[in-house]
Amino acid sequence: MSDLLTIELSYNNYHLLFPRIIISILLILGMVLLITNIIKRVKNGNLSTFNFKFFVDNFDKVKLFGTAVLLVVYASTLEIIGFIPASVIFMFLVTLLYIGNIRKRTIMISISNSLATTIIVWYVFGQLFDITLP
Amino acid sequence: MSIFEILTPLSVLLCFLGVFIGIVMGAIPGMTATMAIAIFLPLTYALDMIDSIGLLIGLYVGGISGGLVPAVLLNIPGTPSSLCTTFDGYPMTKKGEGEKALKVGITASIIGGFFSLTILYFFAPVLASVAIDFSSVEKFLIIVFALTVIASISKGSLLGGIFSGLLGMFISLIGTFTDNNEMRLVPPGLEDQLVYGFSLLPVLIGLFAIGQILQESEEGMKAASHQKIDLQKGNKNTQFSFKLFKNQKINVIRSSIIGTFVGMLPGVGGSAASITAYSQTKNFSKNPEKLGTGEPEGLVSSESANNGLIGGALIPLLSLGIPGDSTTAILIGAFLLQGIEIGPLFITSNQDLWSGIVFSLVIANIVMFILMFFSIKYFAKIVFIPKYLIFPIIVVACVVGSYAINNGVMFDVWTLLLFGLLGYIFPKIGVQIPSFLIGFILGTEAEKYFVDSLKGSSGDLTIFFTKGPIALVLWILIIGSVTYAIIDSRRTKKAAEQNAS
Repeated sequence: MSDLLTIELSYNNYHLLFPRIIISILLILGMVLLITNIIKRVKNGNLSTFNFKFFVDNFDKVKLFGTAVLLVVYASTLEIIGFIPASVIFMFLVTLLYIGNIRKRTIMISISNSLATTIIVWYVFGQLFDITLP
Repeated sequence: MSIFEILTPLSVLLCFLGVFIGIVMGAIPGMTATMAIAIFLPLTYALDMIDSIGLLIGLYVGGISGGLVPAVLLNIPGTPSSLCTTFDGYPMTKKGEGEKALKVGITASIIGGFFSLTILYFFAPVLASVAIDFSSVEKFLIIVFALTVIASISKGSLLGGIFSGLLGMFISLIGTFTDNNEMRLVPPGLEDQLVYGFSLLPVLIGLFAIGQILQESEEGMKAASHQKIDLQKGNKNTQFSFKLFKNQKINVIRSSIIGTFVGMLPGVGGSAASITAYSQTKNFSKNPEKLGTGEPEGLVSSESANNGLIGGALIPLLSLGIPGDSTTAILIGAFLLQGIEIGPLFITSNQDLWSGIVFSLVIANIVMFILMFFSIKYFAKIVFIPKYLIFPIIVVACVVGSYAINNGVMFDVWTLLLFGLLGYIFPKIGVQIPSFLIGFILGTEAEKYFVDSLKGSSGDLTIFFTKGPIALVLWILIIGSVTYAIIDSRRTKKAAEQNAS
């Protein structure tokens, strides 16, 4: 019994001990969750119908994927073209995307929002507080 | 010690500013107090500890309180913690008693705030002095307890909650283990970036801010409808007066206490606090059928509970180093930035800072009350600020913050986006973000205490049971919270079945 409850410790393996335990518990829990889910499905008789919905009904494809793409592009261009140009362009496009049309008024709002934010962030963070900007 | 010896004029000013910004952000539906603090955290990098605490506490108090505005006026909780405020607040607005409802809520907020502050002030040092003698065994068990509590509160799926917490722990283990300087779990090719694992702040900001933005954009960024709201109809009945609170004494005290103690439980957020307080008010009410139709009674309980939460959530943070909710989890980040370790020794070795926190809370509550009570008409307009202006600003602030946190590391921005994506996906696949976050924050410590305990017993696992009376008490608490969860989920299942049939 006491052998079962004793873990062999060696200095070289300290770093693997805890992660191994956590992975094991995670796997067991994952299995249990999966099995209970299957049992529930068998009971309700809908084993084969898999109607898991990831997106909400009528989700806004353009805005969701647009945001995701713009975020990645923004992050990748930051260090290449610098903080101010990247942010101004990003803010302009995102605001435009969220309003969702390209009327004159929309463009004006987007431009002012992007310029104002970028300059304020640049001034407050970069100049006033001396925080590193990309 | 005089208040002015500890608080600098700058910290008072920042506290003031924090409350103001907090109210504004809390009042915008979809933005939470947690998000407000996460965004402003990088800014505190350049401030002294005491000044940044003023700002962050201000944001916390303001953010939680601001959530009441859209809850009352639009039937949308501005932050999750004002969920129950909508039950009675919105019906009052429909009756033309909007201003009265808001003022009842504000007054209940400040009472709840001060109540929990008092408990914090007396209780945290006591708890800390008990915890000072804890060895690594007890510390490990406290973390286990914290995780089971979060999981047991998360309605419906205990296993899912524990799974989420462990997943968070697992992610936090990526990187180097400091004891023997060995790297583990790092994907090939990222050894340089992940030597120390993921940075806490981009993870936090990503989960809470970017995830939220992705979710809102999925829903199409619908603006709050511009309905005309009549804040106050002319007759006397609709005016606010403090006399309203005459019959609410017990209600206020009960709700504040519930809020504070729910707040103390690790990982349990404001929504749980106000729901518990609201249901208790309903149980004890003389006319429970009226609740939900626009009774100040319900408003009082929800708002005093969610402000009571603030002091409560700070108790385990400042005495044990374990965050009471996701907002205080982010506050840990603030202390880390300043190089201050939070734990049982915190209060005794940082007396000034401890008093500073208490004073900041006092000031923040007073400022919140004055600002909101006298200019609520103007704050009521905030709920109509369009999201398409706010959200792009938040994204830029998040990116700048993540980049700056380790003095210009681009990988942190990628961490931000990765966890933003996870913050969007997790709720959809049943992973609970609060559990995940607490697991992530406590993961490395849990590992350290676990390995240390085993070192002390040369590998004997029974040490976790035989260490002493405190360990046993902790085990009883752990088993108790799990049992509670099982019984509770059975009960809800039965109730659901009865409703169905």
